[in-house]
Parts: sequence; C-alpha cells; structure tokens
Amino acid sequence: MSIIQLTNLKKKFGTNEVLQGIDLTVNKSEVVVLMGPSGSGKSTLLRCLTFLEEPTEGVIQIGQQEVAAGEKTSRKRKNEIKELRKRTGFVFQQFNLFPHKTAIENVMEGPIVVQGVEREEARKLAKSLLEKVGLGERCDHYPSQLSGGQQQRVAIARALSMKPMVMLYDEPTSALDPELVREVLQVMKDLAQEGMTMVVVTHEMNFAKEVADRVIFMDGGVIVEEGTSEEIFNCPKEERTKRFLMRVKEE
Amino acid sequence: MDISIIIESLPTLLNATLMTIFLAVVSILIALLLGFFTALARISKIKLLDAIASLYVSIFRGTPLLVQIFVIYYGLPQVNIELDPIPSGILALSLNAGAYLSESFRASILSVDKGQMEASVSLGMTYWQALRRIILPQSLRIAIPTMSNSFIVLIKDTSLISVITVTELLQMSSLLIAKTFEPLTIYLLAAALYWIIITVFSVMLDRLEKRTSQHIAL
Ligand SMILES: Nc1ncnc2c1ncn2[C@@H]1O[C@H](COP(=O)(O)OP(=O)(O)OP(=O)(O)O)[C@@H](O)[C@H]1O
Ligand SMILES: [Mg+2]
Repeated sequence: MSIIQLTNLKKKFGTNEVLQGIDLTVNKSEVVVLMGPSGSGKSTLLRCLTFLEEPTEGVIQIGQQEVAAGEKTSRKRKNEIKELRKRTGFVFQQFNLFPHKTAIENVMEGPIVVQGVEREEARKLAKSLLEKVGLGERCDHYPSQLSGGQQQRVAIARALSMKPMVMLYDEPTSALDPELVREVLQVMKDLAQEGMTMVVVTHEMNFAKEVADRVIFMDGGVIVEEGTSEEIFNCPKEERTKRFLMRVKEE
Repeated sequence: MDISIIIESLPTLLNATLMTIFLAVVSILIALLLGFFTALARISKIKLLDAIASLYVSIFRGTPLLVQIFVIYYGLPQVNIELDPIPSGILALSLNAGAYLSESFRASILSVDKGQMEASVSLGMTYWQALRRIILPQSLRIAIPTMSNSFIVLIKDTSLISVITVTELLQMSSLLIAKTFEPLTIYLLAAALYWIIITVFSVMLDRLEKRTSQHIAL
C-alpha cells in the first residue's frame, strides 16, 4: 500500500526549474533516504509534499488525500492541503520549536488547536511521546534550556503528536554538534523499527545503511538513481552518484 | 524661591498630574489596539486593507502632533463634529501613537523567524491559528521595549494638549503662574512631576520586559 505518491512533480523558482518532474512512490513502513549535492532540490521536494512550497506542476497524494499543483486557492483546496499536512509530520533542520512554550506545550499544541483535544488528554499524549523520545524528565523545560539534540527530539515528538502516516525529515541532524547526532538518529531508528513510514534527507551514510529500505540519489532536480543502500553505496551506476559519494566519504 | 508657594501649589499640581496620567493611560490603551489592528491590516493579503492602513500611518507620522490636535479640535466643528477638549486630546494622542506603534508591531511580526509559521502550518494549523497562537505572542514580547518607549513619549506629548485648554499638568502650571507670578518655581515643579511619573513607569515597564522576554531568542 502506498502512502505517498508523486506524479510528475515540478517546481520552478522564476525560470530556475528546481524539480524537473519527480515521480515517487513510498510504501507503508518504508524508509526512504534522499541524498544529493547542495542545491539538488531535496528540501524543495519535501517542502512541496506538504505545500510549504507551492509546486508548479504535478499531483501529490498522501494516504487517500490527493492535491494537484497550481490550482487557484479556494476554501476547499486549503482544507485539502491541511489534510495533507495533518497526515505528515515534518521535522526541520533548525527544529523550529515554539520558544515561548515548554517542551510539553510544544507537543500539546497541535492536538489542542487542530484536533480540539482536551488539555488533559493532550498532556497525557504529549507526556508519553516525550517519554518515548527519552525526554520524560524535561517536560517543563523551555527550548532555550535544552541542547540541540534534545530540541530536535522534542520536535520529533511534536510531529508525532498529530499521529501522522508519514514523517518527513529535512537534514534533522546537520545543525547539531557531532556528539548529539546519535541520540536523534536513535529515536528515528526506533520509529522506523515500529513501522513508521519515513522520508529522510540526510548525509548520514551509516543511518542509511542500517535503516533505509531505499536510497534515492538526486541531482539537478531529477532522481538520478535509486536502490537499496548496498546498491547505491557499493556499486553506483551513475557517474554523478559516484562523484557525490566520493565527496561525502572524504568528509 | 518661596517654599510656601511650593506647598500651596502642590495639591493642585498633583491633581493635574493625575489628569496627565489618565490621558496617557487611556490614550496608550486605545493606541495599542489601533496599532495592533493596523499592523494586521498592513501584513494582510487584502490590498485595500493594507492601503488604508498605510495611508493612516503615513498621515499621522508625517504631520506634527500639534497640527493634528488643531485639526481635530478646531477644524472638525466646521463639519459638525464637535468634541470636547478631553476627547479631542485623547483622539489625537491615540491616533498619533497608534500610527507609530503599528510600525513597530509590524516589524516585530515580520521579525519572527519564518520557520515558526512553517512549523505551525505543518501541524495543520490555519494561517490565523498560527498567527494567534504562535507568531503574535512572540512578536508582542519582542515589541515590549518599543511599546514602553511609545508610552513614555506619549506621557510627554500630553503636554501639547494644554493648548486646547485641557487642565493637565502643564496647563495647570500656567494657570498657577498667572496667579502667583512664579514661573521658575512652578515650571520646575511641573518638570519634577513629569520626571517622577516617567521614571516610575519606566521602572515598572522594565520589570515587565525582563519577566516576559525570558524564553524568547532575540
Ligand atoms: N525560496 C526560494 N526562492 C528561490 N530559489 C530557491 C528557493 N528555495 C530554493 N531555491 C533554489 O532551489 C534550488 C534547490 O534548493 P534546495 O534547498 O531544495 O536544495 P537542497 O538539495 O535541499 O540543498 P541543501 O543540501 O543545500 O539543503 C537551489 O538552487 C536554491 O537556490
Ligand atoms: Mg536542503
């Protein structure tokens, strides 16, 4: 069963065609890692999936909800986009936690405001999610009182609070100090093991090797090559993939 | 300087000081509301709202407050809008301060990182929910220093409405001088009273600022 289905997704910024017709299907419980050089369109692809960026062309389907690109805004379309977003947990490179709210309030916000859940019930759910990401003791801390790794784990809990069908991560560990990367990757690994469907933009090769069912290599707004991590890392077919992997390994 | 003059004038001047505080507080409250909604109009996607709000801000920032006071008090009666001195004064002060405040509110809304809006809508919030729950609480905290500053300016500006016979602190001082012929003593006394209320409010607002800005990364 497919969770995400992209058909001919295109995105132009002015005359710059950043996504040149992406077709992609992500199945239930599948973990897809997206790699590619800077500027290849990885972030744009994730952002277009939930209309943080309006695509120029194409159709996006998440679960049963389908939205086509480039249509006029109407109340109906806004609601459809909202449905897409509710089904999708988005984790940002810069965390984007709400600084004026405590960790637990960050996680309660979506259920209360969007789903109209009672405060106490939302608190229970948030508490259990924070425990799940190893932060049961940090519920009442403000983001400014948490380390980067802890903030990103709160952000993951916040995304999970809406019970999404799929989690999207845009370089979730690249703003972190090296010693904090592991705790975040571990949380993501645990989620994957529980069967969460995920699309992850990351250059963490080890994570891809251990967790990814499929690795996709993007360059210049197209999918250059895809396969299992073994296929992509050990015997890439395309010249561009080889060059990119050499560079990543050097780092 | 005659100490007895100070003692005799003080009760009257203190009363007038209360009037000054009243004018400033009422005007700032109206100005805050006005500034807030004008800022929302300025960032709204509805062009007409933005245009009206911009025009208002431009007019009230681009003309002297004293002229605004004259137009409202002496000018409007010609088109059959007659307001008493105190409402005229409050209207002029709040329209003027509202224009300035709207600019600082707008700047503070725009200064909230756009990742905050993205994180909010990603949870499924609407634009307005995100604005109300996430963006505005942060931008209001960011705007507290400029709000404080506007209030201080407003306290001083109340002295301008002495020209339309509102017996606030400055007008009352002038009346007393006409009786006592002691301009230096009375005006210094008035200055001291302005200084005291402004200092007291500054300290209070400073405290408020410290309390609320704790968890906002600036
Ligand atoms: N809002 C925008 N306006 C104009 N151009 C943009 C915008 N966002 C991205 N781009 C351009 O689109 C291209 C792809 O950007 P994108 O951020 O998707 O790349 P990326 O693969 O995520 O790169 P990185 O690894 O650096 O994050 C780049 O050339 C970028 O300059
Ligand atoms: Mg990116």
